[in-house]
Amino acid sequence: MSIKQTRLAGVAIFAGFVTCLAPPPHAAEITPPATIYAHVCGYCHGTNVGPIILGKHIAVDVIKLYVRKGPNAMPAFRPTEITDAELDALAQWISVSQPSPTEHGQ
Amino acid sequence: MMTNKYLALPPGISEANFDLAIAEFTAILGADRVLISEDLLKPYTKIMIAEPTEKHDPSAALIATEVAEVQKILKVCNKYRVPIWTISTGRNFGYGSAAPASRGQVILDLHRMNRIINVDPVMGTALLEPGVTYQQLTDYLKDNKIPLWLSCPAPSAIAGPVGNTLDRGVGYTPYGEHFMMQCGMEVVMANGEILRTGMGAIENTTAWQVFKWGYGPYLDGLFTQSNYGVVTKLGTWLMPAPPAYKPFCIRYENETDIHDIVETLRPLRMANIIPNAMVFASAIWEAAALFPRTKYYTGKGATPDSVLRDMIKAEKLGAWNVYAALYGTKEQIAVNWDIITNVVKASGKGLIITEEEAGDTQPFKYRAALMRGDMTLQEFGLYRWRGGGGSMWFAPVAQARGAETLKQMELAKSILNEHGLDYVAEFIVGMRDLHHIVDVLFDREDPVETAAAYACFDKLLSEFAKRGYAVYRVNTAFMDKTAALYGSTKQDIERSIKHALDPNGILAPGKSGIYL
Ligand SMILES: Cc1cc2nc3c(=O)[nH]c(=O)nc-3n(C[C@H](O)[C@H](O)[C@H](O)COP(=O)(O)OP(=O)(O)OC[C@H]3O[C@@H](n4cnc5c(N)ncnc54)[C@H](O)[C@@H]3O)c2cc1C
Ligand code: HEC
Repeated sequence: MSIKQTRLAGVAIFAGFVTCLAPPPHAAEITPPATIYAHVCGYCHGTNVGPIILGKHIAVDVIKLYVRKGPNAMPAFRPTEITDAELDALAQWISVSQPSPTEHGQ
Repeated sequence: MMTNKYLALPPGISEANFDLAIAEFTAILGADRVLISEDLLKPYTKIMIAEPTEKHDPSAALIATEVAEVQKILKVCNKYRVPIWTISTGRNFGYGSAAPASRGQVILDLHRMNRIINVDPVMGTALLEPGVTYQQLTDYLKDNKIPLWLSCPAPSAIAGPVGNTLDRGVGYTPYGEHFMMQCGMEVVMANGEILRTGMGAIENTTAWQVFKWGYGPYLDGLFTQSNYGVVTKLGTWLMPAPPAYKPFCIRYENETDIHDIVETLRPLRMANIIPNAMVFASAIWEAAALFPRTKYYTGKGATPDSVLRDMIKAEKLGAWNVYAALYGTKEQIAVNWDIITNVVKASGKGLIITEEEAGDTQPFKYRAALMRGDMTLQEFGLYRWRGGGGSMWFAPVAQARGAETLKQMELAKSILNEHGLDYVAEFIVGMRDLHHIVDVLFDREDPVETAAAYACFDKLLSEFAKRGYAVYRVNTAFMDKTAALYGSTKQDIERSIKHALDPNGILAPGKSGIYL
């Protein structure tokens, strides 16, 4: 995902921990699922825009399909935004996630 | 035409020739950055507009990360006459999304060309590559403790400043007219030459991001809403974070109050007492942030007015809802707040709601976030109102004059309702104009409703034009029609420029109705 590839952003802070990011510009590094969720999915899911998907044990393949196809009100995500490797990890992470107490909506 | 190998082919190009072009693209980018399988292209085909998806299927997508790659790609495009549709972050929802204007164009996806080249905390300027998202930029400012604010469109987190500015999009802060705040760009021309606009043409300049006009004809406008070049860098101004911020809402009871809203607030906007691109949002726009329309209406067609009135009452919504904000020191804000509350009181209508009164409730919360350039995607609630993911923005420009807004509202509403669709609208307030933004929402899964939405949009354009009104931007299904409404002289000149700058017509044919 794009956030990782910023040459200037030497350091990214997320959820209280600090990750050092000084990668070569196009290295195949992977943005962690929690970061992608917080920076993308979590703006809709758990905010009463999209359905809650954490803690629902949704099948990995279903999650991947939704992300690439973007049915109805959900946007589709291109591999330039979320790479295949990132999507694999994200779908796994969501599939086995616990419900989040801070999320609300359907 | 769909072949075994390709989802579509560029018009007039044989599969064998396209094979050759693809081989050359692959030599430049490597196989993993040349996407041709239907599977990999899937996300590029998702559109919200009322046309068949196939009409906008790309033949391939290329992922470039360096300017030199873009130059080489254009060379190949010229050689094989392959049309190329450039996207930056590719989130042009309701205007065509990432998909090209016509079937078979190759998409040039610049999302991975995403360096924040420079942010100058003193000058409040940024120089960005096309793939930078607002989220990325906001993270960068936070991580580096730079006290500058962004101005974003409503889908802020996943869209980006370069694409949005190039389509002349708008946000909600005092910097809300984004192209006005743009300063300097780098453009790869169709022949591979690199143009730096404004002061950027001067070697060792320090003024590229601070002085817009440069010398001689001002060229930047040529590269917005156009197909004259591929923009690879864009400068933009960022707003110094104010010491204090006070967002507020004013709720109005009746639909016809839009007249008095404009008359009451325009002087405050023109005098910069309300400095931001404030918004007047209609009742359904507000409601959609909270619930689907099935909560009040399960029938087909347009929601009846009586139902809307009941909904407004039960949910304590305004028929119109003003969102504006004050920025500055506490003392400045106090002075302006007094002026505003007195003006509203004297006008005899309008209920003012402060941030303290609104608390943690939507839609106030997301509006407050937008007016300070924060990340949110809350406005996607709009697509739950009817369901089915269909949306086209009908965005006529109006004078900021009460009588005009009333006339436009009544006309838009009657045409929408006649087609079984709802009037879901907001006015975004410019310096003297209003962007009247109507979300033509429809169920894209339902072919009858989709056809009605298409016919509705067509009629909206025609009927508005008869009365001297036209849109500031339009989706890929209606670019030709809109260009025609702006007249043949303008079209002829645009075509002459196209011939001069892109003699093979490889860049985004059809963008804004411009062809070779
Ligand atoms: C709920 C919702 C609310 C919205 N609210 C707003 C709003 O408040 N304001 C607003 O402006 N829009 C709004 N939009 C519309 C749209 O989503 C945004 O304008 C978005 O910023 C555009 O996508 P982008 O930034 O990714 O630009 P892109 O899709 O990357 O680019 C837009 C267009 O610019 C051209 N272009 C892009 N990059 C280049 C380049 N490098 N060289 C040459 N040409 C190029 C192409 O024609 C492209 O189609 C909204 C959409 C939704 C769904
Ligand atoms: C702009 C808002 C938005 C964003 C961002 C978004 N989604 Fe969605 N998502 C939705 C909506 C709306 C639906 C319901 C779609 C429908 O009606 O079928 C949905 C549905 C889903 C579903 C199916 C859930 C179910 O119970 O049926 C999954 C899985 C999903 N999204 C995953 C994701 C992931 C993973 C991300 C982040 C990469 C993401 N979404 C980002 C809006 C969003």
